[in-house]
Amino acid sequence: MKKIAIIAGIALIGAIAGSANAQLVAHKDLSVTTAVAIAQTAVQTCKAQGYNVSAHVLGRAGEVLVAMRGDDTGPQTYENSFKKAWTSRAQRAPSLNFANAVKMNPTVGAIHLSNMVPAQGGLPIMVGEDAIGAVGICGAPGGDKDEACAKAGIDKVASDLK
Amino acid sequence: MFKTASIAGVSLAVIFSVAVPANAQLLTHKDLSVATATTIAMTAIETCKAQGYNVSANVLGREGQVVVAIRNPAAGFATYENSMKKAYTARATRAPSGKFADAVKGNPNAAQFFLSNYVAAQGALPIMVGEDTIGAIGISGAPGGDKDEVCAKAGIDKVAAQLR
Repeated sequence: MKKIAIIAGIALIGAIAGSANAQLVAHKDLSVTTAVAIAQTAVQTCKAQGYNVSAHVLGRAGEVLVAMRGDDTGPQTYENSFKKAWTSRAQRAPSLNFANAVKMNPTVGAIHLSNMVPAQGGLPIMVGEDAIGAVGICGAPGGDKDEACAKAGIDKVASDLK
Repeated sequence: MFKTASIAGVSLAVIFSVAVPANAQLLTHKDLSVATATTIAMTAIETCKAQGYNVSANVLGREGQVVVAIRNPAAGFATYENSMKKAYTARATRAPSGKFADAVKGNPNAAQFFLSNYVAAQGALPIMVGEDTIGAIGISGAPGGDKDEVCAKAGIDKVAAQLR
């Protein structure tokens, strides 16, 4: 009886562990060099336009890869750049999309999560269809201007994102 | 009534003398720019990388705030936190974090350990302008705090001309 149970157990484990689609998941992720290049390019692009901004680059799990506090920026820009990036990573879309969604529905479920913010200025970092991270910018007078700098950061490393 | 007024007047005079002594001008600070801070951090990371070590870096400002934080995905995940704590320790003590590590050796109940961000580990240096500590850099990931500290020093040395 005991033997049967053990055999059954082994068979079950084998069936679960060895199913055809149970290989390890292959990921591409941002390197430290690429992540810093994105953040720094974004900060410098905004600086050249006369805007001091803070920047966050997050990885696949929403973890901080690079955090930069802009010169003479308010403390909220540091937090908000993180949240914009987090929103972009979570939704695999520009944080503007969430801002628009909240306009349509102010009680949309995601607004109750800690790190979602309905504000433009964050963009996902994509490799094909895969969101491997996000960049968020805050400090320019308008989310559209933040987003332009975020885009400049991603464009700078476009050739690495494959 | 007159007395009340004169007492009020005296109070006012006292307040005035407290509020506006001769040395009550605003404080003048020099602080790290994000560009300088990023150069320090990336120079440290690249220096360690050239020696075969993947490290994370934190550059903190005058109030211990993060100016630049860089997680190296090729380093262990604890390095991100540890590089911040080393930098915090160096900023707070205005000295290399290794000095604090030496000072508390054999004293696991040092008062500082009851604060959140002290760590008894080498690998961080204060960023000085003359006698003024304007921030700190912390490195974690190399096999030994001494090696972390070498990279931290390389980062500061790179911008030495700007630190005045």
